[in-house]
Formats: sequence, structure tokens, C-alpha cells
Amino acid sequence: MNGIALDFAGVLTGLPGKWLLSGFLMTIYVTIAGSVLATILAVLLLGLRIAPSAPVRFVGIAIIEVFRNTPILVQFLFWYFAAFSLLPSSVRIFISTDHAWAVLPVNNLILSPEFLSAAWGLGLFTAAFLAEELRAGLNAMPRGQREAAISQGFGHWATLRLVLLPQALANSWQPLVTQYLNLMKLSSLASAISLAELTYQVRNIESYNAHTFEAFAVGTALYLLLGLVLGQILTRLGPRPHTNRPARPTPSEAAAKVVGASSDA
Amino acid sequence: MPDFSVIIDNLPYFLWGRAFDGEPGGLLLTLIMALEAGVLSLILGVLMALAAWLFGGWTRRILFAWADFIRGIPLIFVIFWLYFLIPALFRTDLPDTLTVVLALAWFTSAAVMYSTLAGIEALSRGQEEAGVSAGFSRLEVLLYVLLPQAVPNILPSLAGVLISLIKDTSLAFIVNVPELTTVAGQVNNRTQIYATEIFIFTGAVYFVLCGLISLSAQYYQKRTQPAG
Repeated sequence: MNGIALDFAGVLTGLPGKWLLSGFLMTIYVTIAGSVLATILAVLLLGLRIAPSAPVRFVGIAIIEVFRNTPILVQFLFWYFAAFSLLPSSVRIFISTDHAWAVLPVNNLILSPEFLSAAWGLGLFTAAFLAEELRAGLNAMPRGQREAAISQGFGHWATLRLVLLPQALANSWQPLVTQYLNLMKLSSLASAISLAELTYQVRNIESYNAHTFEAFAVGTALYLLLGLVLGQILTRLGPRPHTNRPARPTPSEAAAKVVGASSDA
Repeated sequence: MPDFSVIIDNLPYFLWGRAFDGEPGGLLLTLIMALEAGVLSLILGVLMALAAWLFGGWTRRILFAWADFIRGIPLIFVIFWLYFLIPALFRTDLPDTLTVVLALAWFTSAAVMYSTLAGIEALSRGQEEAGVSAGFSRLEVLLYVLLPQAVPNILPSLAGVLISLIKDTSLAFIVNVPELTTVAGQVNNRTQIYATEIFIFTGAVYFVLCGLISLSAQYYQKRTQPAG
């Protein structure tokens, strides 16, 4: 284009190549840490959201709605600039000190304010969406499932854990996978709080040797590749949908689900 | 103790930036960008959905592949690409704000296409067949029979798209376009010690904005589908 010769060697070898590899791995680390956190927090939020007690339910709704309806970038900035400084100074010093055991290949520090803010921010944001997807899966189940379990003597939590949740998980697996993939893509915004992940390193190369096109192309390809691989792994790991699926949702129900799926930034 | 005087002192800057000097910023710029990108992506997305429905086959496959590609990469890369491609292809720089608006519109149009197409295809096939047998062309069936009926089903999902879009305007922070998040970052850099107050306030503004849209969508759904 415009007589500029493409030079992929300029971004795939030497220092830029090392940066890209390091950034790509960092994206993977923060995606894994964020996903684990998101899964744990989603279960807790779902527990609050569908608790028998109304005040507890309200707390669940409030937390979920706050994190769903604010940009993740603002959340990152909050955790990094505000919340981190509220920690006790001994904890902050411990986190900010270099620890040899917290360095993963290639030279990626995972005990740092940047990594912790990013993983925690991604985890909480995504958990709010996961909890709502799970709740939608629960709501889509016929009432008879719950009534049958209660009549067999199961309590609220036992019904949920043994009867309802496994089916809800199977039925809403695909939207859940979409949320984990979103988490991976949103990790790119952690570059705004200086986490040295893929996007950060791509911009690094841009200012280092001006191979802008090549750096963007490699970055784009790596995100697409990671998305494909992660999507395949999660889809295969997932439970198979049950055969006694609920009736096809009506158009308004289908539309209502789409409203809940707006998990960008 | 939180000290929200930093918000009061900078409130005009948070709300409209330097609008009186001809440079809108803060919340005002967030709203302007969301509105511009929203209108553009609505036009583009609905046109893509109509094309996918009318022509089917390869047109549909290419549009879907295109939309999946856009949705498969982080939005920040869509912004980077436009920053790079517009000057390279057209030999001219666009204002930063416009570049970000175009990137948001491009990205969001994919979601609009999906929502619109889902709304049209959720209608029963009898609608299309009745229209065709009444002598309408397929384009006429689409515009006069299907689309009007699909709108009530599409609107709630478009509300979701709009909420995403408003949150996505915050990415302008990364390229320093002075909308709400960027302005919050600037005030934070300048004052240093009020990060908690500044980012809670900023989050609250987005929350109110997105919450209002979400509530109106729920109200609309309840009103139009009392039996649902």
C-alpha cells in the first residue's frame, strides 16, 4: 500500500518479536485468572440474586446492575487508581515488590497492581453477565422441574444445585462461552492501566519501529486465533444440552435475552 | 472520607468540557458520539440485515463472516485500524473524534445486523408467504409486511446495543478524545488524590444513563406484551 513494503520480520523477530510473545502470553494469563475469578464470583452473585430473602436478592441485583451498566474501562481505572491505594500499605508493598516466584514466561509479572486490577476487574465485570445468563437459563426451565424436586423433599439450595443448575448450565452454555470470549477481548483494555499484554506491546512496536500495519495485523490475527481456540475448548468442555429442552422461546423472550447480552466494554 | 468537592469544582468540565469554546467534551461529547455512531450503525446494520435476508446465499455468508470478524477482535483494534487506514487510503486525516465515531459505528453495525435479522426471522414464514401470494415482491414484503411487525421485537435488543455503544464510547480514552472517561482521567492526573471520588462519579453517570435506557426498554416490553 502506497509503496510501503511489508516487513513482518520487523515485528516477528528481535526485540519486537519478544514483546509480542510476552504480550500474547500475558493476555492468556490475565484471561485465565479473570475467567477463574469470574466463575467463582458468578456463582456467588447468582446465589444472592435468587436467594429466598428479598433484601439479599436486592443486593444481588444492585451489584449485577452496577457492574453491567458501567464501562469496564472505568472499572479498571477505579480498581487501579482508587481501590488499590485503599489497601493497607503492607499489602501494597508486598504486591509492588518483585517476587521471583510470581514471574511467568516471558518475563511477565503476575503479582503487580496492574495484573491484579485487570484480573479482578475482568472477573467482576464478567461475573455479572455470567450470573444473568445462568439466571436466564434457570428461568427458561419448566416450573415442573422445581416443583418435582421440592415434592421429593429437596430444599431450596439442594434443588438448585442438584436439579436446576446442571440443566441451566447445559442450556445456556453457548451464551456463557460468549461471555468468556468477551473477557478475553476486553483484556485488551487493560493496556490502559499499563498491563503489558498483547495490545500494549503492539502499540509499543508502533512507537519503536513504526511497523504499524504489520504490528496491527499480527495483533489482530493473534486475538482471532485465541478466540477460535478458546471457543473450541470451552464448547467441547461444556455439558451437552438435555434432550427435554424447554419449548422454543417466543420472539419477545428471544429479544429479551439479546438485551441481557450486551456485554461490550 | 470521600471528598466530592473535586467533582463539584470540576462539574462543568465533566458535563460539557469546553463546549463554549466550540469544543464539546465530557458527558456532552459522550452523548454526541453515541448518538452519531448509533444513527450510523442503525442505518448500516439494518441495510446489511435487509441485504442478508433478500439475497441470502453468498451475500449472507459474506455479511456474517464480516460481522463475525468485527465481533471477533477487540474494539480497540477496530479503532487502531481506522486510525491507520483512513490516512493511508484517503491521504487525509480525519478529526480524532470522527475516527472513533466511525469505528464505533462500524463495530456496532454488526450487532444491529444480528438483532434486525433475528427479529425478522422470528416472524412466522406464513407472513412472507401471504405477502408474496398477495402479489408483493420480496422487497415489498420485507419493507411493508415483515419489518413493521419485527420492530417491536427488535427494539428491546437495540436498547441493549445502545447500552453497549454508550459504554464503548469510553474507549475514546485510549486515543485521548475528551469524552467523559478521558476527562475523568485528566482530572485524576491533575488532582492525583481524588481517584475514588472521580471514578465513582464517572461510573455513576454511565450507570444512570445505561440504567435509564434499560428501564425504558423493560417498560416498553411490559406495555406492549402484557400477556408475555
